[in-house]
Amino acid sequence: MPHQCTNCGRQFADGSKEMLSGCPDCGGNKFQFAPTTTAATDSSAPTEAETDGSGAVDAGSSPDSSDTESPDGVATRAAETVRNLMSAGSADDAESDGADHRRPADTEPTADTEPTADDGSWPSSGAAETDGSEPATGNDAGSAGEFDEWPETARRPADRSDPPADRTVDDTDRADQSSDGSSRPTEGPTTTYADDENTAQADARSEVVPTDELPAHEGDEPRLETESGDESHPGTDATGDSSPVTDAADAPPDHGRVVQEPSGQRPSIEELRAELNEQFESIKIVRPGQYELNLMELYNREEYIISLQEDGRYVIDVPDSWRDADDE
Amino acid sequence: MGLFTELKDSISRATDRLFSEQEPKRIGIYGPPNAGKTTLANRIARDWTGDAVGAESHVPHETRRARRKENVEIERDGKTVTIDIVDTPGVTTKVDYEEFTDDMDEEDAIRRSREATEGVAEAMHWLREDVDGVIYVLDSAEDPITQVNTMLIGIIESRDLPVLIFANKTDLDDSSVKRIEDAFPQHKTVPLSAKEGDNMDEVYDNIAEYFG
Repeated sequence: MPHQCTNCGRQFADGSKEMLSGCPDCGGNKFQFAPTTTAATDSSAPTEAETDGSGAVDAGSSPDSSDTESPDGVATRAAETVRNLMSAGSADDAESDGADHRRPADTEPTADTEPTADDGSWPSSGAAETDGSEPATGNDAGSAGEFDEWPETARRPADRSDPPADRTVDDTDRADQSSDGSSRPTEGPTTTYADDENTAQADARSEVVPTDELPAHEGDEPRLETESGDESHPGTDATGDSSPVTDAADAPPDHGRVVQEPSGQRPSIEELRAELNEQFESIKIVRPGQYELNLMELYNREEYIISLQEDGRYVIDVPDSWRDADDE
Repeated sequence: MGLFTELKDSISRATDRLFSEQEPKRIGIYGPPNAGKTTLANRIARDWTGDAVGAESHVPHETRRARRKENVEIERDGKTVTIDIVDTPGVTTKVDYEEFTDDMDEEDAIRRSREATEGVAEAMHWLREDVDGVIYVLDSAEDPITQVNTMLIGIIESRDLPVLIFANKTDLDDSSVKRIEDAFPQHKTVPLSAKEGDNMDEVYDNIAEYFG
């Protein structure tokens, strides 16, 4: 609970978005940053705690630490990012930023995902659906019936080229892989899909792929699916927090909801998390007197931190109070 | 009909004048710390209003709150251009109090660092909300290709704000205006020394042209 309202004492989890519009309980706009376990450790600890996923985000999108070091590459990327962001809007931003990180991560899951679909070994059919839905960008179609068809779609790219007979074999393999899943990531491009799909599965519980889109995916190259999936899902992997995913699996419905609200488009737990983390990364207090700033976030957010105080306290100027101040 | 048209024209002329007088364009002076933004703002303000805008210092982050000088009337070719100048804190991605400890004690350095960070947040917020045009000031003796410069100019471009790049500190030996022109060829670069007052005529010509 790194954030706490200094007025009523309400606590907010790391990455919580609630406080951005003022404390929901008392309306206060002064909060205190109080890293729990990490706090004691000092600079490095808080950073990690705060960032989590955001750390990944920073690397990909941004400004924070990398800075002047490699002007060319960074600058170019930053310029592109800026333009993308500007033209596309915040939702897109998150995607683009996360993309870099996520891909690597995505790779890992692949093995697991596919097995799931084919084998049906995974707990819920919903999971299979989910996989499909992710690529599709998460629409609500809610069709359990299509389950059976799914598996083929889910298969790895490599498998797809092979005749059906092989698939069976693959399935078995996959089953084995599923247990290993986590370690596999590094293997190859094929493997990459697994993570996405896993993530997808988590999301799937709350979402279903539209019937229309399913066939298309099957026929087409799996990769395309994956790619599209990458954008929306990757966040999870990129974030580097396996935990969120796990949580999602535990309590599927809730997560799906939450994710959707912020982006309004493509629900993905990872994405949401990345977005939240990003927002809180506008100013990172490394330690008193040392700050790292995410310029894009500072620019993008309507509310902003107007006062940093000792001991991790800070004041957020939420839009309403900003307008008042403005009038002055 | 003629009377009506004439009346309409005169109303619209009055309205135009009203708007131009009420809302001079707000020009933000942006750039990294120690590029000479406040020196430039002071130079412009002194030249046209007789007042200064803020204190200048060789220690980075002297300007930690955005400061505005309103209704600066710049005369060019018989025309008057009225602008509000907003001198903003230097934008950076890292603020470290240890940068200041040579010039002050640790406590003051930490406070300066904190205020500078707030200043960057404020500058970015102004950029989003309250600026009609940007003068982007660079130290021409420094490498202009940095993440901060690229990102800020990208943001400015994305908002379609008119922007002039000022290659400041041309009085320094290491100054290279060309390096800045090459870095941002899509924008007009004006060389100057705000400190020495060099090339200010061209500066004002361009301000009038871009922001008038």
